[in-house]
Amino acid sequence: MAKLQRGEGEGGDLEKLRKGIAESYDESTGAWEELFGEYIHRGFYDTPSAAPGAAPLTAQDHRRAQLRMIDEALAFAGVSEDPEKKPKKILDVGCGIGGDTLCLAKKYGAQCIGINLSPVQVKRAQELAQAEGLADKVSFEVADALNQPFPDGQFDLVWSLESGEHMPDKEKFFSEMARVAAPGATIILVTWCHRDLSPDEESLRPDEMKLLNKISDAHLLPAWCSAADYASFAKSLKLEDIRRADWSENVAPFWSAAVQSGMTWRGIISLLKSGWKTIKTALAVSLLIEGYNKKVIKYNIITCRKPK
Amino acid sequence: MRLLTHNMLSSNIRGVVNGFPLGIEAEKVVEREVELSAEFLRGVFPKIEWGALVAGARALGHPDLLPGEADASMLASDDFLRRFHRALLQLHVEEGALVCPETGRRFPINKGIPNMLLHEDEV
Repeated sequence: MAKLQRGEGEGGDLEKLRKGIAESYDESTGAWEELFGEYIHRGFYDTPSAAPGAAPLTAQDHRRAQLRMIDEALAFAGVSEDPEKKPKKILDVGCGIGGDTLCLAKKYGAQCIGINLSPVQVKRAQELAQAEGLADKVSFEVADALNQPFPDGQFDLVWSLESGEHMPDKEKFFSEMARVAAPGATIILVTWCHRDLSPDEESLRPDEMKLLNKISDAHLLPAWCSAADYASFAKSLKLEDIRRADWSENVAPFWSAAVQSGMTWRGIISLLKSGWKTIKTALAVSLLIEGYNKKVIKYNIITCRKPK
Repeated sequence: MRLLTHNMLSSNIRGVVNGFPLGIEAEKVVEREVELSAEFLRGVFPKIEWGALVAGARALGHPDLLPGEADASMLASDDFLRRFHRALLQLHVEEGALVCPETGRRFPINKGIPNMLLHEDEV
């Protein structure tokens, strides 16, 4: 297994990284919510996404695609809607402002918890839950995905949609999700990974590492691994029914949404109001696009089940 | 933070063997009415650690709200459902702390949000 780790590692950097991530989202969450609504993740689109001459995608299309992403992930993992078998207790790891958490609560009538490093986002999530009349079913805490404040085996569904990128220790992150999953529970992880290595490769090529390092600096993404790495963590944790897919093509149209929104007056003003960190992140989207186009970065789904 | 949430949280400090349930220091408690759903209560009852809920209600200033022990047959009683509902969902700790039962370490609750982040030396 080859992992690309950032230069810094243990020690005081953990608090620095957590603080950096929390502050970054504290600062930018307003802008992101204004631009994209409550789902802080990509949309899922059919491929090929548009026939020549087709109308460009609207904000409505992108929002629909974001909701579709949730449904596609649940379907991929085979989560049941049967009243007996559906999840009753759900954990959203890296829950943003609770978009997915609320969606899952509504979908399954389940009790849901979201954890997040950003106090501003947690507060916002609680407000949204209150506004949607779901405050009794859904709660949010400031907590660390790498050290989750739950006893073992709590949740029927453990969900992480585009938060895995921020985890400095992918194996610990994955093993915590497995720990808090109940027997028979489903784990769903949708995240950016670097490409799988071929059997004769020990690491990515130097030019690929260089690009990833640039991206990591800009976006507070402290480490990368491949989808194959996640699958092998799952295997070593004796998890079952391990499935994975490359959805890079299915999220490609979201880039244009990001760029489009950023380029509107509303978008620019939002970004300017948020501060320099947010602006830097926005500018660095082009790096992500580069990584995606060069097939260094992949958008993957990895799901599995905890044995009964 | 409601007691429903408290019932799911534990201390995960390195070396702690049993971090559940967390103690509660309640500095500001508010009660907010929310509609009672018997179906929800019956569904969630089997997953509730009753002892922790009773201790929580006591810590929040309601020592007599719940019976010391409970079993599923009590869910047929409207009175029991109302008490269960009130303890689980209506009482909120706005300010205070959760306390690790083994180390005494406090996890602050501000504006109703518990902060469960560990320090470097606790992981």
